[in-house]
Amino acid sequence: MTADNTNGARRTAQVRVQRFNPDTDRKPYLQTFTVEVTQGMTLLDALHQIKTQHDGSLTYRRSCRHAICGSCAMSVNGHNMLVCEQPLTDHLDGRGRVTIRPLAYLPIIKDLVVDRTSFWEQYLRVKPWLIPPENIPEQEFRMSPEEVAALNNAEQCIMCGACYSGCTVVALNKKYIGPHALLKAFMRVLDPRDSAPGDRLAGVDVTNGVWRCHTILNCIDACPKHLDPTHAIETLRNLAQKRQAYEQARRERQARLDQPIPQEEPSDV
Amino acid sequence: MYKTTGFIAWAMRRFTGVVLALYLFVHIWVIGSATQGAEVFNRRLAAVQTPFTHIMEILLLAAVIYHGFDGIRLLLINWFKITDQRKSMFYAAFAISAILTIVGGIPMLLYALEHM
Repeated sequence: MTADNTNGARRTAQVRVQRFNPDTDRKPYLQTFTVEVTQGMTLLDALHQIKTQHDGSLTYRRSCRHAICGSCAMSVNGHNMLVCEQPLTDHLDGRGRVTIRPLAYLPIIKDLVVDRTSFWEQYLRVKPWLIPPENIPEQEFRMSPEEVAALNNAEQCIMCGACYSGCTVVALNKKYIGPHALLKAFMRVLDPRDSAPGDRLAGVDVTNGVWRCHTILNCIDACPKHLDPTHAIETLRNLAQKRQAYEQARRERQARLDQPIPQEEPSDV
Repeated sequence: MYKTTGFIAWAMRRFTGVVLALYLFVHIWVIGSATQGAEVFNRRLAAVQTPFTHIMEILLLAAVIYHGFDGIRLLLINWFKITDQRKSMFYAAFAISAILTIVGGIPMLLYALEHM
């Protein structure tokens, strides 16, 4: 609580919010609101206070308030994050101000709400759903701890768009699949239950796939779940170069999906 | 743009890459003239032996060194996936580049000053 202003017993902060109404505004602009800081207040709480007490027309997405739905990803002081999990006072500058903008590189629908169409279109390109084998075990799929560890927590992605919006390559080329979709492709390719790793690798082994990434690493810095899409992309690059051998290893692995512990898996994943 | 050390490294890598590509044209323009005889070659070589180009050569040295070490940094990430050290690797590549540029640039600067 070092940066907020003191006004008697009340502490306040200046929240600068990017506004844009496509019906009336030619371009986005910043509007400053003074909010009363309460204990444990998050950035989302500040937006709620602005909406309920200052300007009901302020528009933003939010849902779960527990950093799991991914709705409230926004740019705060130039860095993408989930505003529902971020304390307001952690982001105030020396003058008690914080600046909230919508996710960058995406068309603005209104205020802090962006059009995620390109995000979802690229996501669908990698067929993010599980394609199970024909011999589904009667009881359960068995995965070894090593196989789970190799996923590098990719299953924790909440599709908030922070990495996609932070990616410089996406900013310059909307045909690029994007770190979010490549992370999902990585997760499916490494999933021993999935029966189409070869097709998936062929799908990302294209000009605007894994080879378009310039290893700028913004996706890692932007991810609120501390995931590593760059690691996923590098792994996909390696596997794409030995696709047939990997497919064969997967077929052999799926023949014993209902058995306790696998004996071997590709070594570099 | 989303500004991180990764973005700064990328921007500098792109800029130095363009600088090196442009330098190659000048380099080929000079060296390629050797096929047209000694007189043409000497004339073109003399055209780039000015105090200004001597100073620019120091910047060229900086571009070559940074581009090279940033490439090594990228290869380390590509091969070994050591993304958790991304910031310190950028700082290391930048610091090594700066030190080598100073070490190599001082004699070049002295040479340029002598021939002003």
